[in-house]
Amino acid sequence: MLDPYYLQQLTIGLSLGMIYALMAIGFTLIFGVLNVVNFAHGEIYTIGAFAGLLMIATFGPPLLAVLLVVMAVGALAGFGLERLAFKPFRRFSDEASMKSRAMREATLMSSLAMSIVARESLELIFGSQFQSVDLSYLINKQIQLGPVTIVNGDLIIFAVALVMFLGLQWLLKYSTIGLSIRAVSNNPLGARYCGINTDRTIILTFVIGSVMGALAGILVGLYYGAIYPSMGFTPGIKAFVAMVMGGLSSIPGAVISAMILGITESMATSVVSSVWADMVAYAFLLITLVFFPQGLFGARRERV
Amino acid sequence: MSKQLLTKVGMVVLLFVVVPAVLMAFDRGYFYQIATIAAVFVLLAASLHLVTGVAGLLHLGHAAFYGIGAYVAALLGSELEIGFTLGLPAAGLAAAFVAFLVALPTMRLISIYFAVATLAIGQMLYLIFLNWVSVTKGPNGVLLFSGIDFFGFDIESEIGIYYVVTAIMALSVVVLYRLTNSYYGNALRSLREDDQCAAAMGINVTVLKMQAFVISAFFAGLAGALWAYTTGYISPNDFNFSQSILVLAMVVVGGLGSLPGAVIGALLLILLPEVLRDVGDTRNIFVGLVMFGAILFLPKGLFGEVSALRFARRILGSGWSGSADNREVGWE
Repeated sequence: MLDPYYLQQLTIGLSLGMIYALMAIGFTLIFGVLNVVNFAHGEIYTIGAFAGLLMIATFGPPLLAVLLVVMAVGALAGFGLERLAFKPFRRFSDEASMKSRAMREATLMSSLAMSIVARESLELIFGSQFQSVDLSYLINKQIQLGPVTIVNGDLIIFAVALVMFLGLQWLLKYSTIGLSIRAVSNNPLGARYCGINTDRTIILTFVIGSVMGALAGILVGLYYGAIYPSMGFTPGIKAFVAMVMGGLSSIPGAVISAMILGITESMATSVVSSVWADMVAYAFLLITLVFFPQGLFGARRERV
Repeated sequence: MSKQLLTKVGMVVLLFVVVPAVLMAFDRGYFYQIATIAAVFVLLAASLHLVTGVAGLLHLGHAAFYGIGAYVAALLGSELEIGFTLGLPAAGLAAAFVAFLVALPTMRLISIYFAVATLAIGQMLYLIFLNWVSVTKGPNGVLLFSGIDFFGFDIESEIGIYYVVTAIMALSVVVLYRLTNSYYGNALRSLREDDQCAAAMGINVTVLKMQAFVISAFFAGLAGALWAYTTGYISPNDFNFSQSILVLAMVVVGGLGSLPGAVIGALLLILLPEVLRDVGDTRNIFVGLVMFGAILFLPKGLFGEVSALRFARRILGSGWSGSADNREVGWE
């Protein structure tokens, strides 16, 4: 039988992986439809956490209401982000400029610029230190489960993530919205010729991805009790790593990679000091890029 | 001919006579500090310009190589008592060596994959600066008390430091300038435009990218050493991701592929926040907004590549127009 310590680490890793997966889905969705990386995704996560924090501090509603408000804020943030940082660079919709590298890099840098503005504004308003969270909202009540101690946060994260994944799969497979998202990510110009409103589809993708990102933010904030303006950076990179490992366009691939990442990271802390745990993700990224440039689960691509 | 000479002399006079005179006239330590910081960042932006602007490789970890230079110079200076004269080239070479090692596996990646790889490498190096406490002193940073001993001359006065930093910066920028406006630079530009096509024309794409990356890291290392010696204290946060972005913003705002643009961008993003200091601690928001505005409204940058090339052809004059049958080279 496994040592209970490792089971413990495994549960921690699983909930960490779930969080990364929630973020990685947003990344993957947006990459799928626009073929650009949204560097401001980490800031959506932070904004979600701060929205939840403000909600708790001012009204103190039940947890479910907080989550719903956070989702609404995330949707709004995603909408705003798309309008500000992505829309202006889709002025030209012909095939050449859609595939042009310069356009893609301009979009990438504009999302980077937006993320700086968002993070620094939060820092200006709230200060860069940890915010105090109402203790009764923290989701770290311990539950004994045989030899393993889990906290109720693990269960909540697991439940929320599961609902989101299943909902998303349903949405993508069986709804008109999902169909149009899949169409646009397959071939934006073709989708437009078929009468799909690509602009609306892109906005919807941003909204869905950002809702998940914001939800991940508040859940982590309440799980660790740590909410601060630059909290989105590291998970953002981890989610990105998961996306690249998963092969950029595959959502199940991204979810599985995020799980692998979360578990290895929490296992790594039992071997090396926790400050080096972040190294694992970066090492994974480099190894994936160098040895599996197609990603672990992705389809073949022309060039990497 | 005289016009070319005039521009060159004018720049030298501006750097080594006018600016020092102004600094002396005000004679405040704070101004000297800003002038030297601006010089360091001009060098840093110029080095990133080579790899991101000319060779077209989006580099998101440049600050880490700058950090290697700073740490090597500072640790050599404070632990081993190796002064500036040797520490400066050592810093550059160390950064170039690490860049070479890093480039070996990552150089064949293209566009966004390369950007992500450099991001990961930058973060890994930052984690090493932060957590390898026994060598880098971790979050406490490294203190460097010794002044600049430049070939036996001990330089301690502020104006002296300004001269040394500016001289090294100016020399490096001239080297980078000649490099980007040579046939070598044209080869780099060709692989930015279309690397497959460049490869088909017989250019060794991987080797060329690697060289650009290593040369850029070398100059970033020099900038790091200058930074360590002018501020006397370095800590990991001087070399984190947001610094990489700051330098990238300088290059983007100035205009990708234009060295004068990179210099202007560096000056703008260093000096304007200092001017706006009264507004409050909004420096980084300002950086983000300037970057966003530049991408949105000035996609070619403040001093775009075409004007930069035209400028270069005027300055370098004969080297460009003097082909065998006296035809004009390039486009007008």
